[in-house]
Amino acid sequence: MVKHFSQKLAWALLMGLLLIACGMPAFAQAADLIHDEAGLLSGEEAQELEALAEQYGAEQDVDFLFLTTDSTEGQSIEAYMGDFFDARADSTGREDAVLLTIDIGGRELYLAGFGTAEETLDAERVELVLDRIMPEIQAEDYGGAFEDAVVTSSEYMEYRPGVNPESIFLKTWFHLAIAILLAGIIVGSMLYNAGGRVTTNPGTYVDRDHTRVRSQDDRFRNKTVTRRKVPKNKDGGGFGGGGGMTGGGRSFSGGGRSF
Amino acid sequence: MVIHYKCPNCGADMAFDSESGHLSCPSCGHEENIETFPEQNIERKFDEGEAKEYHCENCGAIILTEAETTATHCSFCGAPVVLADRLTGDLAPAKVIPFTVSKDEAVAAFKKWTRGGRLTPRGFMSGDRIKKMTGMYVPFWLYDIEGEAHIQAIGTQVQTYQRGDTIYTETNFYDVFREIDLSYLKVPADASDKMDDVLMDKLEPYDYSELKDFRMPYLAGYLAEKYDFDDEQLFARVESKIVPYIDSYISSTISGYSSVSYTNKQINAQKKKVYYTLFPVWMVYYDFDNKEHTFAMNGQTGKVVGKPPISNGKVALWFTGIAASSFVAMKAIAFAVGGVLW
Repeated sequence: MVKHFSQKLAWALLMGLLLIACGMPAFAQAADLIHDEAGLLSGEEAQELEALAEQYGAEQDVDFLFLTTDSTEGQSIEAYMGDFFDARADSTGREDAVLLTIDIGGRELYLAGFGTAEETLDAERVELVLDRIMPEIQAEDYGGAFEDAVVTSSEYMEYRPGVNPESIFLKTWFHLAIAILLAGIIVGSMLYNAGGRVTTNPGTYVDRDHTRVRSQDDRFRNKTVTRRKVPKNKDGGGFGGGGGMTGGGRSFSGGGRSF
Repeated sequence: MVIHYKCPNCGADMAFDSESGHLSCPSCGHEENIETFPEQNIERKFDEGEAKEYHCENCGAIILTEAETTATHCSFCGAPVVLADRLTGDLAPAKVIPFTVSKDEAVAAFKKWTRGGRLTPRGFMSGDRIKKMTGMYVPFWLYDIEGEAHIQAIGTQVQTYQRGDTIYTETNFYDVFREIDLSYLKVPADASDKMDDVLMDKLEPYDYSELKDFRMPYLAGYLAEKYDFDDEQLFARVESKIVPYIDSYISSTISGYSSVSYTNKQINAQKKKVYYTLFPVWMVYYDFDNKEHTFAMNGQTGKVVGKPPISNGKVALWFTGIAASSFVAMKAIAFAVGGVLW
C-alpha cells in the first residue's frame, strides 16, 4: 500500500513539474477516480463508472471517488479512507470530493463528503444515500452501488444545504395532490353554497337564561398504562454517523454501515 | 268575509307599505297607522252560504283563490283584499314579521345577488329577466321548547411520557355525568306544504325584535297563506332541527378529555308554547335558458336562497385556476426552501 501511494505521489510530482514547465494551469486527472484495490469491478465496469463519475463530478464540481479494499490494515474504515483522501488531496490539490469506501474484508462501507461536499452532502444526506444503496451492496452489486451513490448524491447536492431532499413537501406529486385537493374543496364548497348557505347555528335559538348544566360530576374510574421500548432508529450496522476529521486535519461529513 | 281597507281621504284600497310600516293609499299617498285605523273604513262583506267563494267589493268579480290563501289581489281590478274568515279562530296568526324589504329593494337585492354568483353563467348575472316577484306571508310555527338531558359518558385523558428507553402511555378513565336544562325560544318550522322546507330553513334567521302581534292590515297588498300542518304535525320536524343544537351544547359542557364516548344519552324535549306566525318572503320567478328558476328572499333581511343555474365552464375554470395557482405557489415555496424546482 505504502509503495502504491509513494508511486502515485512521485508520478503526480512529475506531472506537476511538467505542467509548471509548460506554464499550464493544473487540472484534475480524470483517470484516478476509481481505486478498485479489492478487484470488485471488471475492467469494463470500472471504465463506465469512471466516465459516469467524471460526468456527474463536473456538474457538481466535486470528485466522486470509489475506493475498495480487502483490508483496512487494522485501522477503522474512517481512518483508512481518511489516509487515502489525505494522500490524494495532498498530491492533486483537489479538496472537494465524495468518497465511497468499501472494505470487503471487514464487510463495511463508508460514505464521506469532503470540502464543499461536507455541506452539500451532510450527514443526514449521507444516511439517505446509504439507505438507497444498501440493497445493492447486499446483492453484491458494488458497481451498481457506486453508480447509485453518485447519481443520488449529485441529485441531493442540488438542494440547498440543510434541507432534507427526500422531504414530502418537496415532492411534485405531493404539490399536485394538494393543489387538486384544495381546488376540489374550494369549488365544492362554492357549489354547495351557491344556493344560499345556512346561517343559523346552535346559538341562534338557545335561551341562555334557562339552558344550563344543573349538576355535573366527573369521577375518576381507573387507569391503564401501556409500555413500549423506544424504537431503535437504524436497523443494525450504522456507525460513524456525522463525520469527523482525517489524520491530515481534513474534516468531513459521513456515515458507515456494516453488511 | 272579504276585507278592504278604504282610504279615509279618497276611498281607494290601501295596502301595507314596508317602508313606513303603515297602510298607505296608492292613489293619494295618504298613510294610516295600523293600530288606529278607523273602524268605519274597514269594509267587510259577508258572503252567505258558500264561504269558499268571495266577491270583490269594488267590482263584484269572484276572487279566485286557493283554499289556503288568506290574502291576495282581486284578479279583475287588482284591489288588495284580505280573506278574514281564514284568519280567525284557530286560523288566527299570533304574530307577524312585516315586510321591510319593498318590491324595488327586493329587485335591487336580487340583481346584486345574481352578480355575486361566481359559478353562474354570464347571461344569468345581469339579473334582468325577473318574470314575477311575489310578496308572500308564509305560515310558520314558532316553538318554545323546554327539556332536559341526562348524560352518562366515559371520558379519557391520555398522557405519554418517556423514562429511559421505555415509552409509557397512561390512560385515565372518568365517569362523566351531566344533568342539563334545555330551553330554546321561537324555533321556526315552515307550515306550508307548497314551500320547500330546505329553502325555507336557509332563509333563517329572522330578526325577532320586529316580531309584531298579528293584525290583518299587514297583509293588505301581499299574498298570504294559512297553514297546512298544525303544530302537532310539525313538532317532529322542529325536533330534528334542534337535536344537533342540543348535541353540540352537550359536548360543549364536557371538556378536557381526549375522547368522550356516551354510554347513555336521554333527551326529553317538549313544546312549551307555540306561536302561529307569518314570515315575509319574496318569491322571485326568473326565466333563464327557457327554464323558470324559483328563488326566495327573506322579506326582512334580503337574504336570497335557491338553486341558481351552474355554468360547467366556470366550474372548470375556477377549479383549474385554483389548482394551477396553488401548485405554482407550492413550487415557488419548495424552490425557495429547497433550491430545486423538480
